[in-house]
Amino acid sequence: MSAQQGRHRRRWSSALALVVGAAIVLVAWQAAIVVGGYEPYLLPGPLEVGGRFVTGWTDGTIAPHALTTLQEVVLGFLVGAALGVPTGVLLARSRIAAQVLSPYIVAAQSMPILALAPLIALWFGTGLLSKVVICGLIVFFPVAVSTMVGVRSVDPRLIEMARAFRATRNQLIRQIELPAALPAILGGMRVGATLAVVGAIVGEWAGADRGLGVLVNLARGSLFDTPLMFAALLTIAILGVALYLVVVAIERRLVADRS
Amino acid sequence: MPIAPYRHRLAMRAAAVGLLAAIVAGCGTSVSTILATVGPETTPMRVGLGYIPSVQFAPFYLAQQAGYYADAGLEVTFENGNDADIIRLTGSGDYDIGIADGTSLIPAVSQGIPVRYLATLYADFPSIVFAKPGAGITTAADLEGKKLGMPGKFGSSWVMLQALLSSVGLTPADLEIVEFPDFGQRVAVEEGIVDAATGFINNEPIQLARSGTAPIVLAVDEVVPLPGPGLISGQSTIDGPKREAVRAFVAATLRAMADIAADPMRGVEAAEVAVPELAADREGQLAVLEATVGAWQSPYTEANGLGAIDSGAWTESIDFMRAMPESPVAEPVTADQIIEQELLP
Repeated sequence: MSAQQGRHRRRWSSALALVVGAAIVLVAWQAAIVVGGYEPYLLPGPLEVGGRFVTGWTDGTIAPHALTTLQEVVLGFLVGAALGVPTGVLLARSRIAAQVLSPYIVAAQSMPILALAPLIALWFGTGLLSKVVICGLIVFFPVAVSTMVGVRSVDPRLIEMARAFRATRNQLIRQIELPAALPAILGGMRVGATLAVVGAIVGEWAGADRGLGVLVNLARGSLFDTPLMFAALLTIAILGVALYLVVVAIERRLVADRS
Repeated sequence: MPIAPYRHRLAMRAAAVGLLAAIVAGCGTSVSTILATVGPETTPMRVGLGYIPSVQFAPFYLAQQAGYYADAGLEVTFENGNDADIIRLTGSGDYDIGIADGTSLIPAVSQGIPVRYLATLYADFPSIVFAKPGAGITTAADLEGKKLGMPGKFGSSWVMLQALLSSVGLTPADLEIVEFPDFGQRVAVEEGIVDAATGFINNEPIQLARSGTAPIVLAVDEVVPLPGPGLISGQSTIDGPKREAVRAFVAATLRAMADIAADPMRGVEAAEVAVPELAADREGQLAVLEATVGAWQSPYTEANGLGAIDSGAWTESIDFMRAMPESPVAEPVTADQIIEQELLP
């Protein structure tokens, strides 16, 4: 068997595994409804949710909410990552910074974002800014910690070699430490990408006009449209998976380039 | 063929009883001992009240403590939850009785949730707009161009605001709405951050009045008689063996409401027994309960008795909510599909 045939076969196997996995989930879902005797307003079936998902997108119910959430997630992720990477480098390379900042960073991370979100909405308003702050906060920690771990685990011989070539502090960080820590940093970003979606939804629950979190609440509490609520949840899940895959694609590209 | 929910629950309960019997037998106690303790005529009732235990639920606490439910052969347990969950769980039969706002019930029934409105608790719609004197707001028309605070553009407050504004030819676009998802709109009115806000007749106006500023209150009742919170039950419950128990529960609750209307302090005392933390501010609780009692009564209930359901008002409300922009009422629904008058005493 040629290498090309082998790749082809692996792709088919992956696709088949995905389809079989999805089929198992859908059958289990429908079985739960039949066995549990749930009414559609408590747990709608996959076909009903699928139908509502399609009509929700075609009649323009879901799209504006999804776009709002996407905007919040992307901006929040960028802000959190942009602050998390330099903080991680600082924590890895400065013992004083680590001693001073670590307790506060860990303490801030321990606070449930669900409790902080209403306060953040109060301080920054119920518009885009508060969602970006919430997403940024939730993304910051995994990115900062993974960067710190990644930078600390750089092979010391590489650093010694760079110093022997009289590399400056900046050169050391940009050309040795960050590239070497890249897999760890991107691992943190993978986690951050999915958490950013959670942050946006929590932020929208704390107060918003638009967004998938708002749509979930509307469908649940005002419209009593349970299939629409599930369709919104499905959209949130798709958004999270899509963002995760984007980070994985970037990771593959950067790590492959580096190799 | 799917197993019907009721049959499924019966099967589950039978299994649970069997398991209990096995455990009890293992412990050397007979099942008949347990049944004798509970009493053969007692009908268990799960009742979903509002989100947080409070003095507003005093009729339920009083009816429980005064033995009105027990006298009717009911063994009542209360659970707290939000409106949307209570409606779903009552529709599914998990709760035998619930409390829900009429403006929530209309979209719920339009979505096929099998619940019925059995008795009116709030004959006046409790959601209102309030403003400090001097804000230049004395009528709904004065809201034009003003800043108004509210928790969000949903629920009973949102329906009430649209009804109030439509009565003077305005829409929400004619004012600036500031959202306070943490329900901080009273402070915002006090601090002058907004000119007016939505609230509840037995909450924010009472607190403002107690702090020395009696607010201007704009009520919606004269415009559209929106249906306030009331007792609800699932269609399967009222069609099933618990129908008479539901009737007895409604009667016992209305009896307690009448007792409290005559002497609100009885309600405060009952609430303090149920929720001891309330005793820290008896005067405040009494003020809240007196305002609540006021909202139980309207010209319609004065003519027809506490709990009476004004079907004409329901029809008006349904028509109004169907005509709202971005109406929450998905499918046409009639008052007869929602209200059930036969279980009133």
